[in-house]
Parts: sequence; C-alpha cells; structure tokens
Amino acid sequence: MNEKSPPLPKAQVGKSHLNWLLWLIPVAAALVCAWFLAQDFIFAGPTITIYFENADGLQEQNSLVEYRGVKVGEVGTLKLSNDRQRVAVKAQLDASAANLARQGSVFWIVRPQVKLGALSGLQTIVSGNYITVEPGNGLRTNQFIGVETAPIKPVQALDIQLHAPKLGSLQPLSPVFYKEIQVGEVLDCRLGDDAREVVIHARIREEYAPLVRMNSKFWNAGGINIHIGLFSGANISAESAETLISGGIEFATPPDFQNTATNGTVFSLNEKSEDEWEKWSPAISLHAVPEAVINKPPAADLRNLRSGFTP
Amino acid sequence: MEKLVACQTCGLVQEVDVAPKDSVIKCARCHFQIFHRRVDSRVRTLTFSVAALILYIPSNLYPIVTAEYQGHHIQTTIFQGIHSLFSLHQYFIGSLMFFTSMLTPGLKIIGLIFITLTLDWPHWKKARTWVFKIIRIIDPWNMLEVFLLAICVSMVELGEVATVHPGRGVFSFAAVVVLTLLATLSFDSRLLWDSSAERKL
Repeated sequence: MNEKSPPLPKAQVGKSHLNWLLWLIPVAAALVCAWFLAQDFIFAGPTITIYFENADGLQEQNSLVEYRGVKVGEVGTLKLSNDRQRVAVKAQLDASAANLARQGSVFWIVRPQVKLGALSGLQTIVSGNYITVEPGNGLRTNQFIGVETAPIKPVQALDIQLHAPKLGSLQPLSPVFYKEIQVGEVLDCRLGDDAREVVIHARIREEYAPLVRMNSKFWNAGGINIHIGLFSGANISAESAETLISGGIEFATPPDFQNTATNGTVFSLNEKSEDEWEKWSPAISLHAVPEAVINKPPAADLRNLRSGFTP
Repeated sequence: MEKLVACQTCGLVQEVDVAPKDSVIKCARCHFQIFHRRVDSRVRTLTFSVAALILYIPSNLYPIVTAEYQGHHIQTTIFQGIHSLFSLHQYFIGSLMFFTSMLTPGLKIIGLIFITLTLDWPHWKKARTWVFKIIRIIDPWNMLEVFLLAICVSMVELGEVATVHPGRGVFSFAAVVVLTLLATLSFDSRLLWDSSAERKL
C-alpha cells in the first residue's frame, strides 16, 4: 500500500430491519382468505329449498329472490325433485333476510301476466322472472312449498259468501263496490257442494264492514245491461269500464237496515239490480266498530327497522 | 478482517468491517445500502410468493366481476371467462387468457417457492437452475395479467348500461400480480449458485 494515500472512508454499520415482519405478509393474505370464507359460511343467510310445480323462467345462479322490491337472495340450483312432480329451487338468502325463512312464508314466482283487466309483473319481461315472498311468523325452516300465483294479501276484513246461479265474469280479485267505491274484493269462486249454485267467497275491508247488513242486497255489476222498453226506449248501462272487463259485485243496504253481518254470512247474488236498491242511501256510521276489534298492522318503528327484518 | 468495497450507487471505495448479525452496512457518502447479495432476498421472495400462492386460490375461485343488467345477474370467474371464450370458438384468445392469467402466475409462484426452499441443498442446484430458466421464459408473459385488469376496468366503464361490481376475485388477482412482482424483484439470482460459505458474507 502506498503510504501517501489518504485513509479510505469507513462504511457505516446500522441496525437491520426486523425481517420476521416480512412473514406478516402471508399471514395477511391468509386473513383475507379467512375473511372471504367467513363471509360465505358464517355471515351468510340460510339456504332454503322451495318446491315449485313449475320453475319456468328461473335461471340457475342468476335469478333473484326479492321482497318489497329489494334483492334478499339469489337462486342457486334448480333440480327436479325425486318424485319428478316438482322443481327444487335452492336459494341463498342474505343474512339480513334470514327471518324470511320461517314457517308460513309463501313463495311464488313473479311472471309477466296479461289478463283481462289486470297487467302485472311487466318488468319481468325484461329482467327475467324472480321469486318473491309473503313472510310468515312460524318457526325457522328451510323447506317451502311454493305456490303458483301470488296469494291475496290477508287484511282485516269481513268474509262473506255469495250464492249465485252462475258465475258471470267474476274472478278472484274482482272488486266489490258500494256506491261505486271499491270496498272489498272476491277471494275465490267455486261450485257449491251440490253443483246447483256458484259459491263466491268475498271480503269487505274492515273499515267498510258496517255497510254490510243482514238484509243487504248484492248484484252482479259486470257486463252491460241493455234494456229496451216500448215507451222508455233503449237503456244501456254499465257500472264502470273496469267492471265491464273484469266483472264486479255491487251491494246496497236498505234504509231499515238490520244488524251488521258476521263472518261467513251467506247472501244471494242477484243477476242485476232493481231500481229501488240503487236509490237506497241509509246513514250508517263507519266508525261504529269498537276500537278493540280493529287490528291495525303495526306502524313503522325505527327500533324494529334497525335490527333488520321483522315479520 | 477488513475488506475494500465499492458502493453500487455512488462508486465510493471504502473499507468494510465484518458486520455483526442483523445489521446493515451503509455507504459512507450516499448512505445507500451496500450488500454482497440482495438483503433478505431469500426470506422476502419466500414470503411474497407464499402470500401470492394463498391469494391465488380466491382469485381463481371467486368471480372477477358481478354484472347486473336489468335484473339479470351475471358472475364470472376467470375460468368461466376462458370457458366462454372457447365456446365462442375464440381459441387463440382463450388459450392466451388461460396461459397468462392462470398457468403462468401459478407456475411462477410455485417455482419461486421451490427455489427459495431448496437453496440449502447443493445437490438441487441443477433443478434450481432449470426452474429458474422456466421462470425467465414465462416472466414476460406474466405481464399480460395487467392487461386482464385493464379489461376489467373497461367493463366497469359499462356502468351506465349495466351495474358492474368488481368481485372478490379481482382484488385477490390484483394482489397476486403485485406480490409476484415484488417476489421477482427481491430475488437475487446469484443465490442460485452460491455455496453455503459464500452466502454468509
């Protein structure tokens, strides 16, 4: 070494990084995977099986389960049941909708429907059919029998029976009018036990229930009435454009009205009204029903809303 | 024992003491690290590769995108995408997708793990070199993954027609891309032929 050369600088020695910290990277990756798995298996809602007679329009891994217009689950697989009578639709509900999987819940498939006087489910022409539900309050369960058509929403109402010689153009959900205001609807129509009469099951919403008295008169308001008389000329009348198509029932209560009708009261359904009935206009207090009888649905309560769905 | 070392950044020739364990040597002038072999190369490559291997699983199992179009609800994983390309008779693009987004990341990750784990065994030197050659060949193709991400981004741009959510798969896939990149960067290929005596320096 040359003695004249200046001394070389000396490299510094510093502290090393903690290289065990590097192992936190795979640990973090494993945690991410664990989080994915937890979301799939622990925080997921229940998987339910719904048996439909016909799953027309549902697609595996694609169709949705909706409730009140909101997605609450997804359809998984569609399989034929063992007896080949039904289609088993497996659906994965969201965790927030776990409460829908209860006994008494009624599932049906919303399809486009074009019937006389009723168009429904038109959005499904574009979006595909989906499953929807009317929740029940029973115990938790994972197996359901689906129905074919939307059940008529139960409300507090007075149920009555009407006996008619023939059906006319009535069908489920045909309206029941009082002074041309809809106060109820037809629930179902069937042939009487001895096949001599048609039995129509209808309901009057509870706020209008006092209008129905034991001596009220019911008549079929559907179709057109054409009356041609020698002196009065031609007289054409129809209740409304709606009843013209879908049929309807109208009733009137005489001024000397009797007691209010009770559930299951049987009336006869006349084919057309008499002029006298349409002139009846008795004063009936609609608030005569004692408050205790009225069973109102609970009002929205923020405490219930926060904790997810409550049936 | 003292040695003369030239800094790789500024070129200053300086004396270096034998550094105690768990310490780093810094240049007297520019304070950059001076190393004989890349610092912690083995541990870093191993940790990044293991993390990438773990995330490789969800990136292939979970959907890349979830698209909602007028109530239709479509989820696609990488494999389903490749499958549908094949069923559309797009064999070239389909196989390109398969090689670049499924095969090469997997091979590369496994190869890096194999190399880092077998470094202590001199008999495996030949196999290590062979694996490293394969990694060098497939490495440029790996960069196509980034294009896959670009395709995903362009699908998200569809937002006005359809609602497109990036799925869990795409996050894991992005993480795999970044982690394999870091693993390759921190790997010092000189480790391949180092004898155990040389690695102690």
